[in-house]
Amino acid sequence: MSSSIITVSNLKKYFKVSKHHRGAWGTLRNLLTREYKLVRAVDGISFEIEPGELVGYIGPNGAGKSTTIKMLTGLLVPSGGDLWVNGRVPWKARQAHVINIGAVFGQRTTLWWDLPVIESLDLLQYIYEIPPDRFRQNLDEFRGLLDLDSFLDTPVRSLSLGQRMRADLCAALLHDPMLLFLDEPTIGLDVVAKERIRQFILHINRQRGTTVILTTHDLSDVEKLCERVMIIDQGRLLFDGELDALRERFSGKRELVVYFAQEYEAVVVEGAQVVARDGTRATYQFERGTITASELIGRLSASYRIHDLQVREPEIEETVRRIYEERLLET
Amino acid sequence: MWSAIDIYCRLISIRIRAQLQYRISFLLDLVAAAFATATGFGTLALVLQRFDNIAGWTLGEVAFLYGMVETAFGIMDLFFSGFDPDTFGPMVQRGRFDQLLLRPVSITLQVLGSDIALRRLSRITQGIIVLGIALALVNIRWTPAKVAYLPLVLVSLIAFFGGLFIIGSTTTFWTVKRVEAINIFTYGGSEMMAYPMHIYTKWMRHFFTYIIPAIFLNYYPALYFLDKPDPLHMPSFAPFLSPVAGFGMLAAALAFWRFGIRHYTSTGT
Repeated sequence: MSSSIITVSNLKKYFKVSKHHRGAWGTLRNLLTREYKLVRAVDGISFEIEPGELVGYIGPNGAGKSTTIKMLTGLLVPSGGDLWVNGRVPWKARQAHVINIGAVFGQRTTLWWDLPVIESLDLLQYIYEIPPDRFRQNLDEFRGLLDLDSFLDTPVRSLSLGQRMRADLCAALLHDPMLLFLDEPTIGLDVVAKERIRQFILHINRQRGTTVILTTHDLSDVEKLCERVMIIDQGRLLFDGELDALRERFSGKRELVVYFAQEYEAVVVEGAQVVARDGTRATYQFERGTITASELIGRLSASYRIHDLQVREPEIEETVRRIYEERLLET
Repeated sequence: MWSAIDIYCRLISIRIRAQLQYRISFLLDLVAAAFATATGFGTLALVLQRFDNIAGWTLGEVAFLYGMVETAFGIMDLFFSGFDPDTFGPMVQRGRFDQLLLRPVSITLQVLGSDIALRRLSRITQGIIVLGIALALVNIRWTPAKVAYLPLVLVSLIAFFGGLFIIGSTTTFWTVKRVEAINIFTYGGSEMMAYPMHIYTKWMRHFFTYIIPAIFLNYYPALYFLDKPDPLHMPSFAPFLSPVAGFGMLAAALAFWRFGIRHYTSTGT
């Protein structure tokens, strides 16, 4: 028996999509024959998640992120493979499953559209049968952390996107779920709103030990929140591991910016290329694996007088883009 | 069980408060609905005055059929508003059905609690008024059995129409666009049940006897209440089949509904 809170093994979800033919003949064919195309939205993925983890689940549009989340939350029945959450099969024990999870979907609210926020939250107390004092405690804490007070009496339909997201986060956590699923929680938000929501997610994960799985387009979410990242593309898991390991394995060229003490004619060094030069400043590019930053600095300081240095790691965004585009993880 | 009723009442009270927020629009809805039903029965009364009777049924007798159907359909429409295919379909298309699947409460209860169209109250009132007129016009020889059976027939009619609504909503899991054909059974069915069934051609009558057993819900009970002979020569227990037909329809609809949800969760939207 493993200690995992989520166990996914060879999970698959295929959809049948009816084929459409164009033109006059096509219309007739559509009417007479039903041809289906099989779309492999999730095509055999396996992973385990331990209690208390904060996992980033990323991938391009249509990669299978949302389909996976829908299976984990019990909204979709898998086509194949096994899936346990909290020792249960989500879609087989829907009510027992959903009482232990919270879910926030960035694209749409789970609150009642024409109700003031506070009434939606009150209603959840009864739906989840939350003990009154526990409900009070949680509500008071979240009101402070998410700064809800200014719009508690506003109907959900009149909230701004950022306010709505905060209200939804509060609603998803009032019943002390063990697991929190966040599907694009920062989509469409400004920098300040994003930061507040990230701080809140971190707080919940650290202070309450809530296991969090979040899908996102915004890789800075992953960089700021997650130690572990899973990358999915075309229904397959391309990478599952620590963010640092991902960087190490796939990031291409690192950069070293050198500020020389004086202007030199030429500042060549073996193992690195000068990509930019401006007065006393030069930028070198070098390959991970062929030379380390300290070796490079050693060589440079042997020939030149150096005033200051800066090593630049490639952006995670760039790394992930390369993984998708160059299919670095193709098996 | 009690917590389910508690949650249902809370959900419904939200819907009621939301509708009362827009007082003018609510009142206009009521007036419009009342007007529509009144003209419906008004036309029928005018025709009857001209011809004296429809296939041997007097104005009072037809009013009895009409009043029963209107009252029952109105009450059903009020409490099954969430299952109205016209509101349920868009809910599925916009993906709001997922929200119900995420709550630890019965889905059927949540759909029932998702709407209560108060403007139906005017249709119910109309139905009760017409039914009152009918009871004043016809001379029913009341027996204890008849007194007990009348509310049971009404409840069976409500269950029957509710079943049709649930079937209509369930089909929206498969079709992106609402199926007009479904309305033929719900609105068309209720419309034709307001007339004595023997006026229809054989195949239509057979359809509403053997496929959709509407004939046992209104026509046959009416024959019993009004002490009229059966021109169709069904077995003598036919007037008493209304609970079987009504609740049978609802049970079949709920089974189809559960099947529909299983289909939805295996295909998504």
